Amino acid sequence: MSSTDTPTEETDAEETDATATDTGREAMLEQLTGELGDSLVGSHLEPGIDLTVRVAADAWADTAAFLKTGMGFAYFNFVSAIDWLPSPFGRDMDSQVDISLEGSEPKETEEMTWGLAGGETRFQVFARVNDIVNHRAVTIKADVPEDSLTVPSWVGVYAGANWHEREAWEMFGISFEGHPGLRHIYLPGEFEGNPMRKDFPLLARRVKPWPGIVDVEAMPGDDDEADADGEDAS
Amino acid sequence: MTDISDRQQLNYIAAQAADARLNLELETEGMTLNIGPQHPATHGTLRIVAKLDGEQVIAADPVMGYMHRGYEKLTEVRTYPQVTTLINRIDWLGSFANEVPFILAAEQLMEVEAPPRAQWIRTILFEMSRIANVVLFLGDMAVQVGAVTPVFFAFRDREHILNQIEAATGGRFHPNFDRIGGLKDDLPAGWVAETKQVMKKMRGFCDEIETLVMGNEIFQTRTRGIGVIPADIGLQYGLSGANIRGSGVDWDVRRDNPNGLVYDQVDWKVWTHPDGDSFSRFWVRLQEVREATKIVDQLLDTIPAGPIMAKVPRIIKVPAGEAYVETENPLGVMGYYVISKGDLVPYRVKIRSASFNNMSITPWLLKGVYVPDIVTILGSLYFILGDIDR
Amino acid sequence: MGLVESGKVPKGITSLLNMSRKYSLWVYQWGLACCAIEMGAAFGSPRYDVMRLGVIPLPASPRQTDLVVVSGTVTDKMAPAVKRLYEQMPEPKYVISMGSCANCGGPYWDSYSVTKGVDQIIPVDVYVPGCPPRPEALLEGIVLLQERIQNEDMAARWKGEAIVVD
Repeated sequence: MSSTDTPTEETDAEETDATATDTGREAMLEQLTGELGDSLVGSHLEPGIDLTVRVAADAWADTAAFLKTGMGFAYFNFVSAIDWLPSPFGRDMDSQVDISLEGSEPKETEEMTWGLAGGETRFQVFARVNDIVNHRAVTIKADVPEDSLTVPSWVGVYAGANWHEREAWEMFGISFEGHPGLRHIYLPGEFEGNPMRKDFPLLARRVKPWPGIVDVEAMPGDDDEADADGEDAS
Repeated sequence: MTDISDRQQLNYIAAQAADARLNLELETEGMTLNIGPQHPATHGTLRIVAKLDGEQVIAADPVMGYMHRGYEKLTEVRTYPQVTTLINRIDWLGSFANEVPFILAAEQLMEVEAPPRAQWIRTILFEMSRIANVVLFLGDMAVQVGAVTPVFFAFRDREHILNQIEAATGGRFHPNFDRIGGLKDDLPAGWVAETKQVMKKMRGFCDEIETLVMGNEIFQTRTRGIGVIPADIGLQYGLSGANIRGSGVDWDVRRDNPNGLVYDQVDWKVWTHPDGDSFSRFWVRLQEVREATKIVDQLLDTIPAGPIMAKVPRIIKVPAGEAYVETENPLGVMGYYVISKGDLVPYRVKIRSASFNNMSITPWLLKGVYVPDIVTILGSLYFILGDIDR
Repeated sequence: MGLVESGKVPKGITSLLNMSRKYSLWVYQWGLACCAIEMGAAFGSPRYDVMRLGVIPLPASPRQTDLVVVSGTVTDKMAPAVKRLYEQMPEPKYVISMGSCANCGGPYWDSYSVTKGVDQIIPVDVYVPGCPPRPEALLEGIVLLQERIQNEDMAARWKGEAIVVD
């Protein structure tokens, strides 16, 4: 993270100078590339901080198996998903008051942009596993195919992925092939829709728009200096 | 009293028998018992649907979501300081600890480092929230096995810690004290000396609990050999905190990846226990509270002077990028994966909460267990519903 | 029983009955979230002892309580359980809504799974604001409720229309 903490994640009880090169993570990346070959479609290495790799969707479970048995990443951290669609509701929290006070415009990008290690589809699944013996960790992402919205399940490799995949299915609508039983984990059974998708609106904000900075009463002593937003407590 | 190995053997045989039954006839045998969502013995609104055969559980299915408030969606429409206010309420017992990994992730994206004084005070408050959280667990575990009195001691001694946190931050819990780049305010005068007194009292409380609860024969009979988690299964499910250290795995994020908190300046120890049963998890947590008081004492002696806040703009726009920071929270390992697109609000925040992973082992763990032991096991895993359901 | 309902009880006896009722409330702890911890501190900690007000936090079953303190966020999944538990309480019953989540949805006012206030489901007598309210605030809420009980007209409560919640 910053330069003050010297032991970085890949040290094997030895001091390492993680200045510009990150030998531990580079070795991890090499091992993964060697095993996965073409399935590894993107990667991002932040020296001293983290390694992110992106794999093809059909290699999602194989990557997990290799990480667990071949590279010693026995600790399962989490599995989740990201929706890269720019929200059609803007930031959903700009009121005219905020815009006039701070002059910020709501961002309305039409294009989809992706994060570290790139991406091509609207949904991505991402996961993180740790090797707690050597203190290493890696983030893995995969594009979810648009037509089927299905990726292989990790339950055969890490038993703990069961609940995480149920949550991703419920919140995003992504199916996991090979999962013993995808059913609701948080929401009541009759809930319609996938809440974490960007086009799922927060209805309370649709019905009553964000009122912005509201000053109920002036602080004692500066009655006239009260904010010129004109909004009163409603 | 049955020997631990005999107990483990009995449990193993019972689990095998339960499995065999499940394979033969799926749903027609036995009774379905619904525990919760309002139940004095569950830590909040958790519902467990247990299929029983007599007194033994064949299959247990936790039904969650009764406290699901939609955190990950709400963080997408709130600015970073507003998110800090909101995430206090995930693990509502040790609440300063929830803010820290998120603030560290945002600082990592902004490439800002909090000044040393702020790092020190952050670590002190972090450890104090651990003490406040686990002290309640120590009292509550006794309630789970039937001893009602220790929880009153726990509440009384927790008040001392809450007093100190309130003096420094203004809120008993939900302090909303952490800011990107530092802290909101400096410590009040006399706080350091008072906190040292409080740490002495907490050590006294630990001794009380050790003699009252841990040495009690009934407590030992009810917790030794119950709910054994082998280390490799625990790793697969992603258990963390005292749950995995109680199974003998020596992993503590404070020591291995301190990230921005100053654990490398302090002389302290990680406690593990090889047994993996409920008693060992309780034991590890008790030692951790003692260790936390020692850490706080050492940190209080060496707080550097200096500014409390780094130079950050008043309106915080975090540059685009992704960052993941995890810390050793009172309940386990908590992490935030923050994806930012350079805006006032985060784009996506994935909250890796400790109790979600800790709970995910319950369907496996509760097979073949007797009904009274369900409560003991759930108590020893120590989850907070807000942490599971987010 | 007949005397109270018909309203022919002299005022002195009514106030005596009300006083005895207000000082012997049995509270059912509907502790959902963070406010439950403050409620636990109010009930269980020797510092903010609630038993000195006559309120006893012992019962684990709603069928033996007069007062329920809804503390914490009520989600849509939990709402039917709240209603069912309220209906299980015997009359006369009172509800204190503790904390901003139970009052109006609180910090989660825009969430897709939170009920914006428990008064959408059950009738509330006293609202205690705060996030979380200090234990002293909860004690003040209980004192206000006791004042209300003292001034209550039992006949009107029994004779009037039942509180219909749909």
